[in-house]
Amino acid sequence: MLPNKTSVINTRKDMFPDKKSTSKQMKTSTLTNAAGLNSLITFTVLLLAWISGFASRLFAVIRFESIIHEFDPWFNYRATAYMVQHGFYNFLNWFDERAWYPLGRIVGGTVYPGLMITSGSIHYILHSLNIPVHIRDICVFLAPIFSGLTAISTYLLTKEIWSAGAGLFAACFIAIVPGYISRSVAGSYDNEGIAIFALQITYYLWVKSVKTGSIFWASMTALSYFYMVSAWGGYVFIINLIPLHVFALLIMNRFSNRLFTSYTTFYILGLLLSMQIPFVGFQPIRTSEHMAAGGVFGLLIFVATLRHLRTVLTKSEMKYFGGVVAVIAAILLLILICLTYAGIVAPWSGRFYSLWDTGYAKIHIPIIASVSEHQPTTWFSFFFDLHILVTTFPVGLWYCIKRINDERVFVILYAISAVYFAGVMVRLMLTLTPVVCMLAGIAFSDLLELFFKEEDSERDRSNNGSEEESEEERERSPGVNLRNGVVIGAFVLMMMFTLHCTWITSNAYSSPSIVLASYSNDGGRAILDDFREAYYWLAQNTPIDARIMSWWDYGYQIAGMANRTTLVDNNTWNNSHIALVGKAMSSNESAAYEIMTSLDVDYVLVIFGGMIGYSGDDVNKFLWMVRIAEGEHPQDIRESDYFTERGEFRVDSEGSPTLLNSLMYKLSYYRFGELTYLEEAYTTEHWLVRIYRVKKPNEFNRPSIPISKRIVARNANSYVSKKTPRRKKGYIKGRPTIIKGQKPQRKPT
Amino acid sequence: MINRNIILLLCNVVLHGVYVQLFAAANIIDLDLNFKNVEKHIDLQSQLTKITTRLILENGSKDRHISNFLFSLEPEQKNSLSYIAAYREPVRVELKLTEVKVNVYPDETFYEIELKDPLSPGRTMSVEIEWILTHELIPHPKEITQKEKQLVKYIGNIYLYAPYTITKQTTTVSLPSRNIETYTKFKPVSQSDAFITYGPYEKLPPFSYEELNIHFENNNKFLTVTRLERNIEISHWGNIAVEEHIDLLHTGALLKGSFSRYEFAREPKSWEASIQSFDTILPAAASDIYYRDEIGNISTSHTRIKKDSVELNLRPRFPLFGGWKTKYIVGYNVPSYEYLFHSGDLYTLEMRLLDHVFDDMVVDELVVKIILPEGSKNIELSLPYSATRLPDSLHYTYLDTTGRPVISVTKKNLIENHIQNFKLKYTFPRILMLQEPLLVAAALYLLFLLVITYVRLDFSIDKDEVSESKLRIAGQCEKILAAQDRRVTSYNELDDQLAYLKANKDANTFLSVVKGINQEYKSTTNSITEIAQRLKGESGDVYDRIQELQKYDRTLKELYNQQQALYVDKLVPGKIGRQQFVEAEAAITKKKEECVEKINSIIKSLQ
Repeated sequence: MLPNKTSVINTRKDMFPDKKSTSKQMKTSTLTNAAGLNSLITFTVLLLAWISGFASRLFAVIRFESIIHEFDPWFNYRATAYMVQHGFYNFLNWFDERAWYPLGRIVGGTVYPGLMITSGSIHYILHSLNIPVHIRDICVFLAPIFSGLTAISTYLLTKEIWSAGAGLFAACFIAIVPGYISRSVAGSYDNEGIAIFALQITYYLWVKSVKTGSIFWASMTALSYFYMVSAWGGYVFIINLIPLHVFALLIMNRFSNRLFTSYTTFYILGLLLSMQIPFVGFQPIRTSEHMAAGGVFGLLIFVATLRHLRTVLTKSEMKYFGGVVAVIAAILLLILICLTYAGIVAPWSGRFYSLWDTGYAKIHIPIIASVSEHQPTTWFSFFFDLHILVTTFPVGLWYCIKRINDERVFVILYAISAVYFAGVMVRLMLTLTPVVCMLAGIAFSDLLELFFKEEDSERDRSNNGSEEESEEERERSPGVNLRNGVVIGAFVLMMMFTLHCTWITSNAYSSPSIVLASYSNDGGRAILDDFREAYYWLAQNTPIDARIMSWWDYGYQIAGMANRTTLVDNNTWNNSHIALVGKAMSSNESAAYEIMTSLDVDYVLVIFGGMIGYSGDDVNKFLWMVRIAEGEHPQDIRESDYFTERGEFRVDSEGSPTLLNSLMYKLSYYRFGELTYLEEAYTTEHWLVRIYRVKKPNEFNRPSIPISKRIVARNANSYVSKKTPRRKKGYIKGRPTIIKGQKPQRKPT
Repeated sequence: MINRNIILLLCNVVLHGVYVQLFAAANIIDLDLNFKNVEKHIDLQSQLTKITTRLILENGSKDRHISNFLFSLEPEQKNSLSYIAAYREPVRVELKLTEVKVNVYPDETFYEIELKDPLSPGRTMSVEIEWILTHELIPHPKEITQKEKQLVKYIGNIYLYAPYTITKQTTTVSLPSRNIETYTKFKPVSQSDAFITYGPYEKLPPFSYEELNIHFENNNKFLTVTRLERNIEISHWGNIAVEEHIDLLHTGALLKGSFSRYEFAREPKSWEASIQSFDTILPAAASDIYYRDEIGNISTSHTRIKKDSVELNLRPRFPLFGGWKTKYIVGYNVPSYEYLFHSGDLYTLEMRLLDHVFDDMVVDELVVKIILPEGSKNIELSLPYSATRLPDSLHYTYLDTTGRPVISVTKKNLIENHIQNFKLKYTFPRILMLQEPLLVAAALYLLFLLVITYVRLDFSIDKDEVSESKLRIAGQCEKILAAQDRRVTSYNELDDQLAYLKANKDANTFLSVVKGINQEYKSTTNSITEIAQRLKGESGDVYDRIQELQKYDRTLKELYNQQQALYVDKLVPGKIGRQQFVEAEAAITKKKEECVEKINSIIKSLQ
């Protein structure tokens, strides 16, 4: 019996080889908690995005040191250090006599204090915990840290608009995209570093409040808008985009009570809060840039009233009411126009005109046109800064348009306006970058979702063994090869994007620009530290109240590193003062001397790249000095004088004589020519920075006067020698006359 | 009697004390002593004035032993004196030297030098006195152009300004180069190369003075550290951090007219008057060296690691010409085991009060701050030379609560000879080492606790019915799923038992085991039903699904019962044929699988 039985069991086992596996019931504990897994993945991805965003911004710190970069950051750093040292209220009341000599600058009222307050409060918190981090290090690492917060807020915004997956893609993109890194590398301590975070979080809160219609979220939006106003002048973008969104929703007949609640709350709170910033003051109710927001506010209330009345009034009453409204609206518009003409509401400022007409600045405001970041964007730089995102974001935009809802209207408007502005000005590439990341995130997420989902469902089908696949679905579902191809292609693209971002960050955006590095053929690195050499020389070896004239580019650096008084700086608020400096630089030496003495200039600083071939020197910028000077002093300076007869701008011996005699040219090439009114005080090792001392009137050789024209003042009663060429013999006064045979007669005394 | 004796004794002690004090204040110049031979050597090769004098003392008295003698300096040297020391020759032993006042000459400064062994009558002894003066060489002319050489003037005394008669004296002056403009021709005098020799002069009265005036070329570094702040921070974790803030001033002839980079780069001659770089010697164990200033790192420095030191070649940002100044910070770490010694809780720090900055340096003002670990007590400082101790303060850094004690010392006018060790004794309870790690741990613990509390508790003032009921349902579902898990376990056990039964045909043991399993099964099924009843009010949908689950479960159980019956009633007694059994079992298994599939899908939906 026994062997028989065993054989039976064996056969049974053969019959049900997978009995255990198929009939096993599911145990819940063997499955992972789906919600927990989701939040773990989200948390990990965001953390990694933060870390990689932070790390990829550290090239400059690792290659050079923890140092403030460029020009504007030096002012921000100096202001922050002042605030940390003297307290917030003294900072608000700070009158900086070190800038714009002899005018000075009221810093508290002409600065967006958000940046200083942010790093100042971080400094305060750390120091109250006895963590002695130097304020410079906080300033250097502020932008990289905020890039992580930007990634998180971008995730939140994209999640609200599309899905969490798209949000994670967007967060990863924005963490490393060069368009944003260009303004937020470690050391680039500028408003934009924190402003992009404020922008994104404001938009997130706005979308959230439109979705929920809660006063809480709308107030949060206003608060975040307040932070943005305190941080960057780009807040105007928010205060125009949000009304535009509301306006578009109204036109699309998407009015809802949620929209009404959130916009009215946001507008009123935001208006009041934004007016608390001293630099903004009454602008939100007095300038044209802010009028759209007020108009939309009125319109929204009007629409809401109309809707309410429609439920109360009859049709005939409504018609009558409509006429009244039209009249009131016309009167209001008329009043606005009158106010604009009367000057109570300021018209658009020059910078905003240049947003509509790209040629405007070149003709009317050369100082705006002279800044490289105000130039129109080239196609190349779109690819340079955004890489594949620039091609994928229209896909995301299309998805949004196809599946439209209230918040997607917002992101569409955001994308379209940002693309336009980025095309007008290189600098505004920054506002385009977040929306491009979001839309590209949507595109990638949707693409992968499509291709991964299909695979899943097919596996389910094969497992179930059910053959209930519809014909339609079979047509739509791509083959395995195509699917793999698309997925691999997407991953290759993203990998190339990562490589591109790292490469751009490392090569284009990680130079502090006050320390230059040059590489020799054998890979050795030479550091040109001439700027700091010169600034430190100024700091140590000039009188504390010395006034230094230089072109405005270097004003902030001189104030920050050398701690000396400058005439003009990067806060180009006074065009005529800059033009005066430009005039001094482009005049000949004696004319320049007059201007310099009238401005009490002690030292003149010029940047000279001729010795080592540095292209960004003052001779290169010289034509802008001439143009700006010509704008204010057309009778003294003419741009055409600085070109040769054939219309060339030459700096060699064949250049135009006006150019060769100009102060700037002489100072740059001193020791190849001669100076009368100035003397070389210091020149750095590689000749990059040259500092000259302006001589006092008694020091230089006064021009000689021909002898015939010399008039010598004499006292009338002084002794005059009688010696003339004719009477060469001398004589003795009161000489006794001697007569032979007589005693010499003496005069009785 | 006894009392009186004691009083007398006390009187004696007091009187003695007074006497000693009087003696110290009113030192008398011993007329019996004279200097038999004096060799004065003035070294003017650097920016310092180093004067070394070899004396041969002669005790001219008949019967007195002389145990000390006095030495004085010219009144104008008083302020520029930086360092003075005396040695006994030929075997070099340092002698004790103290500053005293003599009543007869109230304006002069005297130094009393104690001889180790008293000088017996008629004998001689050789003593060397070395003193170094700073800022004595005056550039003349005061201003020179970039190309010119620097000329300096020295005014001094040819003789030795001593309170005793000198039998014979010679004076030599050594200069940095043979380019000498003028020098005092006080005969007998001779010049050879860079040396000028005066004398020998004989029979000199006390305090004799003859002006020595030399105008010569000196292109050596005239560099002064106007202020040096040295911070020493001690960590008991094995590290001592040293940071020096140094203010430099070129105290040579001022630069006249303009600076020319062109000439500077083209003619090496124009480098002479400027200082381009200098070497600082750091301890051999120094690591993590940094060289920076207010505006960042100074990239022009090199380190050379030598056997017994680290040599740091520092280049200021710009070459220093006369009157130019600069500021920088040098910092490094050294391991504490080389400088910090302890037995139990008692610690001793032995480090240099001043360290090397450059050769022949002059430090106008030195401030040393020693930062001890938090909780150090009973601090005792012993200095190698007199210096002013500043009031103690507190310093707060990472993870500090009560602050670290800071010991500050200041002194003016120092030179290389002042590079000497100080000793600092203090007690530090070693248990305090744990304070900082515990602080971090506690902070992290609190943070996690806070997050946990925040996540667990509901701080909303508004009651959100929908989400709350959702949460409640989710909670109940979780309970049901747990019960279902238990049920699955009992099914699995049943499966095992059935398989066992099939193999062994032991129906009795099987039935007894199955009884227990069934009881377990029943209780879990009941609990699910109970929870389902509670859910009925919250969500009908979930309730329905659970009802369905229960239904399928009942069928499944029924199937198991069938299988059991098949085994126990038919297979074990052998009432069934093989083929029949296989078919019956296959049918049951198929039904079971279908049932399980449905249950699984319901559970999936419940999760």
